Amino acid sequence: MRILWQNENLQLLPEKAVFWEKENTLFLADPHFGKAAAFRKVGIPIPEITTEDDLQKLSIIVEKTGTERIIFLGDFIHARQSKTQILRNLLFLWREEFAKLELHLIRGNHDLSSGDPWPELGIECHDEPWSLSNWDCRHHPVATSSKPYFAGHVHPGYALKGKGRTRERSSCFQISKNRIIFPAFGSFTGLKTIKPEECEQIFVTNGKQIIGLPSLENFILEK
Amino acid sequence: MKALNYYSLLRESKPYSSKFLELVNYSEGQKKVEAFFKSKKWKPFSFQRKTWQAYAEGKSGLLHAPTGTGKTFAVWAPPLIEWINEQKNGKFPTRPPKLRILWITPLRALVEDTTQSLQELVEGLKIPWTIQSRSGDTTSSVKASQRKRFPSCLVTTPESLSLLLSYPETKESFSDLRGIMVDEWHELLSSKRGTQTELCLARLRKWNPSIKSWGLSATLGNLETARSTLTGSSKKGVLINGDLKKKISVQTIIPKDMEKFPWSGHLGGRLVEQVAQQIEKVKTTLVFTNVRSQTEYWYHALLSVRPKWEEDLGIHHGSLDRKDRTIVENRLRDGSIRAVVCTSSLDLGVDFSPVEQVIQIGGPKGVARLLQRAGRCGHQPGAESKVICVPTQAMELVEYAAARDAMGDRKIEDREPLRAPLDLLAQHLITLALAGGFEEKETFQEIRSAWSYRDLSEEEWGWTLDFIIRGGKTLCAYDQFKRVIAQNGVHRVESKLIGRFHRMSIGTITSDSAITVKFKTGKSLGTIEESFISRIKPKSNFFFAGKLLKLERIRDLTAIVSKAKSGKGAIPVWGGGKSPLSSELSNAVKEKLKQAKNGEFNSSEMKALAPTLEIQKKNSALPDPDQFLIETTKTKDGSNWFLFPFAGRLANEGLAALLSYRISKLAPMSLSVSFNDYGFHLCSNLDFEINPEQWRNLLAPEGLLNELLDCMNLSEMSKRQFREVARVAGLIFQGYPGAQKSARQVQASGGLFFDVFAKYDPENLLLTQSRREVLERQLEIQRIRNKLVEIQEQEILFRHPKRLTPFAFPLWAESLRTQVSTESWSERVSRMAKELEGFA
Repeated sequence: MRILWQNENLQLLPEKAVFWEKENTLFLADPHFGKAAAFRKVGIPIPEITTEDDLQKLSIIVEKTGTERIIFLGDFIHARQSKTQILRNLLFLWREEFAKLELHLIRGNHDLSSGDPWPELGIECHDEPWSLSNWDCRHHPVATSSKPYFAGHVHPGYALKGKGRTRERSSCFQISKNRIIFPAFGSFTGLKTIKPEECEQIFVTNGKQIIGLPSLENFILEK
Repeated sequence: MKALNYYSLLRESKPYSSKFLELVNYSEGQKKVEAFFKSKKWKPFSFQRKTWQAYAEGKSGLLHAPTGTGKTFAVWAPPLIEWINEQKNGKFPTRPPKLRILWITPLRALVEDTTQSLQELVEGLKIPWTIQSRSGDTTSSVKASQRKRFPSCLVTTPESLSLLLSYPETKESFSDLRGIMVDEWHELLSSKRGTQTELCLARLRKWNPSIKSWGLSATLGNLETARSTLTGSSKKGVLINGDLKKKISVQTIIPKDMEKFPWSGHLGGRLVEQVAQQIEKVKTTLVFTNVRSQTEYWYHALLSVRPKWEEDLGIHHGSLDRKDRTIVENRLRDGSIRAVVCTSSLDLGVDFSPVEQVIQIGGPKGVARLLQRAGRCGHQPGAESKVICVPTQAMELVEYAAARDAMGDRKIEDREPLRAPLDLLAQHLITLALAGGFEEKETFQEIRSAWSYRDLSEEEWGWTLDFIIRGGKTLCAYDQFKRVIAQNGVHRVESKLIGRFHRMSIGTITSDSAITVKFKTGKSLGTIEESFISRIKPKSNFFFAGKLLKLERIRDLTAIVSKAKSGKGAIPVWGGGKSPLSSELSNAVKEKLKQAKNGEFNSSEMKALAPTLEIQKKNSALPDPDQFLIETTKTKDGSNWFLFPFAGRLANEGLAALLSYRISKLAPMSLSVSFNDYGFHLCSNLDFEINPEQWRNLLAPEGLLNELLDCMNLSEMSKRQFREVARVAGLIFQGYPGAQKSARQVQASGGLFFDVFAKYDPENLLLTQSRREVLERQLEIQRIRNKLVEIQEQEILFRHPKRLTPFAFPLWAESLRTQVSTESWSERVSRMAKELEGFA
């Protein structure tokens, strides 16, 4: 799904990431890697497979897009307790596979309490807002901003209603002229149901497909 | 000195002359108790003496009687008698005895009251016993000093008892424990808290096989089972009937203008004035509603017609602050309040003798429940219990008439215990592991001695053990996961952190994550569900604790509010708690409809409903007990089918899920579903016809279980149930007010866990359990099966009314809906997106 935003041609991926072809850059938010480990620490049995799966998903989009740079919009590692040997191994293995990638992280609230990821991973960490040429990268959405921006944090979900009184709740991108709020990339994360403004367009996704909903503002270039 | 066996001499219905009783050779202790009764000018009932005798013989058992008839003294006197008889030369030591009795009560709120009422006899007998309470409300300093030296009798809740069992020292402190008394057992019996009590009993019996366990219960349909759950699977206990057959009258306030009376709509507030007048007739009234939101609604409605009652009207439900509830309870006890609007939170508990009448708002849903509520009034000698029923929708009139019939025929519901819930077993095993560890074989036997686990299989046991040690199949690779460690055959918890988290989350009562509601000054009003408060915008109003409040802000787990000046407000909705129309009552309802069809309207309720039932009959049909009604109507939403099995809301939900699954296999479509106690509504996005022969096939009982399991994967039901299972098994750690921030990082919704397990560990027995709980508890699969078999024999009435009928309308208006779909995600979303375009 291609959209035109701030005069740039952006690709919305159903895997809950945005690819900016011109600059060969991939954006995604809220992976919450290692969330399960924090649970195991207090005796709640959850396997780390979600992190494995999410990294595999990431590998697939990196290969598919051929991106050279990834910008994580915050909440990279879930909690201090998540920084286990297992997570370290998983992330390092992944990093070895894509050693040439340039990685950036905008520190989110979870990163502040868990601390920056292992330095050997070679992720450059920035406090928000971190400015690109045309727009800022943030973790927390802000009410007013002089510059357009990308943000995460919200884990937005949208509930559609239809005939036969049916309802469908999905993860979504929330896009207006001056901001894009990303769905959470991590699969072991919840959803917050949002009510969009008139000037916003919603793109719902189930991880495999992405559908842009009709709205007053239309950003869709081609499906 | 042992009491003589005069048990056989005392037959229930025979009156005994006092002369005869003096001849009986009572034990020293019983003489003292009899003397105490005499000093109070009371005479022991025969069931009380029977219980004293059975206890003295070392027996366990169940005593069933309505509230306010002296059940407490029946089981409280014998352990005191036992102790007095053990003292030499009739001299009592000054030092209080070590812990001898545990008294379990289902509600935290009852702990204090019970402690006080037990105190009365101890003081009367002038014995040095101490009685103390211990519950979630007890301060930690009191708890700590109790653990150093327990009182002679400890009054507590199942959760607090379970928590006590997690401390290694408890075994020694309990070494002189003689008996455990469980109050209001009917209330606990069929819940996980009941199962938790059973597991605790099994442990106490293992420590001391001669311990006596006694339950107090209201009358039930399955008393034998209720007794076995208390005495364990290997022991047989006695059953003592203390039912004094009190007179109960059921009356109904009939709406004056039945024509305009809503067929649906949950409020029926138009009867407020009549309810207020009814309240004015006597000194003290209890107004029962079925759910907490209705309590808030009726409290306001009554104040709006009688503003001067502000100080004279109380509100009471489980989400309100404990202090405020206590004030209301005390005012009820001393009769200084005119009326209290409440939920089942006041179904239980010590007597409120001043209460003269009970008002029931909405359908009673069960015979036992109406009996229980009726029993809350009329405690004056010779008085009858009087219930005034207030319908909130038309069909409830039938329920009242039916309930009166069923009461007359003593058709009372069963309460079934759960079957071996593994979430609770996992929790209990960790508790045992914390308390100094457990050995496998021995503990397996101990667990199976609890009635609900008597058929626990080796496989289930092995799985649960593995689950707490290694976290189940998927976790083998993670060596840092060590909840329970097995060493030299003993299972222990070694991590302090895990122990702390476990103790904090013991307890099986489940609720949505609760938000405390507080004024700026810090005064707490109670708790509200996060899902409700998150829909309220700051600076807007809502009703809570009988007050109109303005939400200022939400921080951490607290909502700060201020008093709103005036205006409208939202009424909170709390999850769960709606019980289904029981089979007993449903049968009685069908009988009433049959009479109506034949033109018999023999009660005021049925007479009032006659015009509505006429409309139903004219536009569609009134089904006989051997007929099954299906109505088909077209609306702008699509095709609507209304089916009326009269199977209670739970079984109707299951039938609706099954039918929508089967229908959606006929053509790809999405259906939304609603249900109530009488029937269910299926609404399809397609314009679709189903012929009578297809209906027969759709309603066939064959393949029920598998299809129900299949369609449950499509629907949300097992996911919802899994939330509770996950919480009990310790997967979800519930934050508590004042919890550290770090606690929030290990919170995830049950739905997420469900998805993770379903994907990576589909064999997980907790998933199996949540499916089973959905089948047995939420859908009442047995009732569904019986219903489908029954329909095979029934005549199906197909009707195509032009407008919605009185039966169908409430279903159509029901906003809570679930859905089933055979369209793919993209088909569904694209379709909805297109419809959205159409409207824009």
